[in-house]
Amino acid sequence: MSTASTPQLAVATPERVALSLPVAGIGYRCLAWLVDATLLFFFWVVAYFVFTLLVSDVLGVFQGLSGLGQTLLVVGVFATQWLYWTVGEVFFHGQTPGKKALRIRVVRLDGAPVGLFESAVRNLCRAVDFLPGLYATGCISMLMTPQHRRLGDLLAGTVLVRDERIDLDKYTAAAPGEASTSVATGRTLAPEEVELVLAFLTRAPGLQPDARHRMGTKLVEKLGGLTDEEKATVLASPEATESYLRARVRAEH
Amino acid sequence: MAAPLPTFVAQHRADWDALEALLARQREGTLTLQELRTLDSLYRRAASDLAHAQTFYPGTDAHRFLNQLCARAYGAIYQPPRERWAQVRAFFLRDFPRTLRRELRYVGASGALFILGLLLGALVVLWEPRGAELLVPSGVRQYVAQGRMWTDDILSVAPPDTVSSGIATNNLTVTILTFALGLFYGLGTMFVLVNNGVQIGAITALCAREGMAGRLLDFIAAHGPVELSIIVIAGGAGLMVGQALVDPGELPRGQALALRGREAVKLVLGCAPFLACIGVVEGYVSPGDLFPTWAKTALGLGLGGLFWAYLLRAGRAEAEATEAPAVSAS
Repeated sequence: MSTASTPQLAVATPERVALSLPVAGIGYRCLAWLVDATLLFFFWVVAYFVFTLLVSDVLGVFQGLSGLGQTLLVVGVFATQWLYWTVGEVFFHGQTPGKKALRIRVVRLDGAPVGLFESAVRNLCRAVDFLPGLYATGCISMLMTPQHRRLGDLLAGTVLVRDERIDLDKYTAAAPGEASTSVATGRTLAPEEVELVLAFLTRAPGLQPDARHRMGTKLVEKLGGLTDEEKATVLASPEATESYLRARVRAEH
Repeated sequence: MAAPLPTFVAQHRADWDALEALLARQREGTLTLQELRTLDSLYRRAASDLAHAQTFYPGTDAHRFLNQLCARAYGAIYQPPRERWAQVRAFFLRDFPRTLRRELRYVGASGALFILGLLLGALVVLWEPRGAELLVPSGVRQYVAQGRMWTDDILSVAPPDTVSSGIATNNLTVTILTFALGLFYGLGTMFVLVNNGVQIGAITALCAREGMAGRLLDFIAAHGPVELSIIVIAGGAGLMVGQALVDPGELPRGQALALRGREAVKLVLGCAPFLACIGVVEGYVSPGDLFPTWAKTALGLGLGGLFWAYLLRAGRAEAEATEAPAVSAS
């Protein structure tokens, strides 16, 4: 729940509202790169076999025809080194397939989508970030900059942000078929308390029974506003505790 | 007094969902004008909800959801104009040559560094022949010692296509590295420029001592002028990047870097098609005896002249028409 330590990208919109987006860290970026690299690798394997099958299955003939093949090869290498990334970022909303899989995207520092120039710069700099091997320079740069940017990002003025999948249903979801007890009593809950209770309710079914009971009890005590006998009925079983908590949050309407 | 969080979410949820649906359709590009207006007003409403959430429900999932939603809508509404073919044309007709003329000082400095390396390498080898052992790659030295051109062999082993594409990637790597190494405060670019200059200078001097200058000229003449120009221009772009890092002026370093980087990369991208063309010349025309030396020299000088005429003249008339003369002076 707590993302306080995640660096944020602050964007000032013309509506005078400040957006703050979570920045993608080095782990997300490495995984996204691995996905992209794997895709490119399989592309090359398939391309190689298709080419050899179509052109010739005899090595000698293949070498004889290799002039065109070699040129294509060089164009292909260039494409995988630069075109793949730039086309992905410019035409698919800042996402190569790997970034899409990891739900991260490239944006400019002002939050706008990247243009051709920014993308070209950051991908041309891959050559330097890769030095002396496996993105060593880029990784050091990512570890040392507050927003986890590699040299190419610094030069292009871009940053990678995360797309979080956030479920709003939990705020309004009804408890699965149950009539609520009297919960009209008690004070209004603070937003943090609502979040805390909802987070507990989401995770409760997967918890160990004793942990589930202990945390439920703590939450009921924290919210307060119950007489002793009411508390006894509420704490009788985990299901009762959770339905009380759900009703308590829902009663905020 | 703020409403409790679940109430707030329940009240506004419908608007947010509608905005999300519209954004998805906007990506596919299937919005009607009416829907576009709705998108705009929904975005403004979501922005004000976000301001509300920032004040009363900071750090909650609802707040983060709104952040993300507004960022997507913001990106959709305030996106930069699409780059299209017209803009590519405008780039090569005006933008690229104009940028080059504006940043001619950096290209000049880059050229000076390169020539410095060239003279250094040549003088060392001419003055002390054993210096060649240090400066010239051993493979090249062996060929020269046997009185042969190393370029003859490339051709006899592999078909011209291979040579051409191999040379093209090599030039590409050198160009990209010359530019991108500027990120190390410009030192990387300086090193590549001087180092390349020294090597070429040393090889030329070595060939001259062994009486092979004519054959080296024969190989270099056709592609040399343009190719070296491109490397010098990429070096200029690298120096711009380095300068932004060393002396960012009144801006923070990151911003200065991004600002100068955009200009610098124009120089590199502009050179790309010319680099590809010259790779073809280097692969097909330069090696072998298909063309006499005078034809190669004429071709090389012609291409170089055309290249620089384009760089220094293109878009000039329009520039003078739109800009004040005092500003256009570089």
